[in-house]
Amino acid sequence: MLTRLLIDYPVLASITIILITVASYQLAASQQQKWQTIWLNPMLITIALLVPLLLFFDINYQQYSQATYVLNLMLEPAIVALGFPLYQQLRQIKFHWREIMSILTLGIIVVITVSFIMAMIFIKAPEIAIALSLKSVTTPIGITLTEQLSGDSSITTFAILIAGLFGGLLGPAWLSFIGVNSAKAQGLAIGSASHAIGTAVLVRVSAEHGAYSSVALILSALLTALISPWLIPLLQQLFS
Amino acid sequence: MKNVLYTLFAISISLLLGKLAHHLLAGLPASLYGMVIYALFLQLNWFSAKKVTATNQWLVRHMGVCFVPAGVGVINHFQLIQEHGVALIAIIFSSTFILLTVIGYLSERLLTKQVPNDDNSSMSQK
Repeated sequence: MLTRLLIDYPVLASITIILITVASYQLAASQQQKWQTIWLNPMLITIALLVPLLLFFDINYQQYSQATYVLNLMLEPAIVALGFPLYQQLRQIKFHWREIMSILTLGIIVVITVSFIMAMIFIKAPEIAIALSLKSVTTPIGITLTEQLSGDSSITTFAILIAGLFGGLLGPAWLSFIGVNSAKAQGLAIGSASHAIGTAVLVRVSAEHGAYSSVALILSALLTALISPWLIPLLQQLFS
Repeated sequence: MKNVLYTLFAISISLLLGKLAHHLLAGLPASLYGMVIYALFLQLNWFSAKKVTATNQWLVRHMGVCFVPAGVGVINHFQLIQEHGVALIAIIFSSTFILLTVIGYLSERLLTKQVPNDDNSSMSQK
């Protein structure tokens, strides 16, 4: 039914699908504010609602993504808007410049190494190991790097998404649990583990969280692009 | 309303310059260059921070909805999940938490110095 609608009346169907997406997002957001629980994360709820809906109406992803093209179009400007909290904290960040660079460099080396080795031990496929070790960056960077190193980029896309949701949803609670409470530390950790998705969640907590998360988002993209082309071949030699 | 348009204009200019930077330098994606350029222009006072505050806060609060289409993309990966499901999710989960722990723990301990309070810069702290 909806599939026919999509073909016969693309604009109307597109508006309907965007409305469903935005309405369920808003509903979850208002409920989350009321109940204050991570599980009512608007992004998660909307995705969990839409996936069965699309399967039920037999709408494939390509049709959905065409219908919601407008939302996708707004993604880039939304990321640019993160420049504002970044500007607000610029002085603080400049002051801690060296520490931030060293911590992120170390973190990226650790995550690439750990993911690669675990994947080689449990899945034993180099193209998957490469894909998984590049999952802690923003999607366009992750895909480009994976393809450069001849990994499987469809796995990268999936892994980046899951890493984003895990870190965004559970990250703040986990960090508080291990005694990491400052906005700076939470922001840097979630921005580097969960890129833009984590940042979108965190920027609602405070502008300072958002700023540090944005810094980590930018720097981990940059550092991963610099580190992975020599670190991953080195790790591959370990298993050949 | 004027400020809304001003903000959208400022963001669009930054994004366009970001696209140019991406085209010339490659490296980062256009939106990340755009973010840096936007922050820089605010810092240089080429864009008025006061005018963009309200609209920008609204945008950033609701940006999550723009990630939904990408998130729904998991339906493309059902076969992948069936094949390697548990191992794949377990590796993503554990390595993400290791990274969170390493960076969170080190940052909590190393970023403790207070910024000295000489206010020569044009930045207004709120």
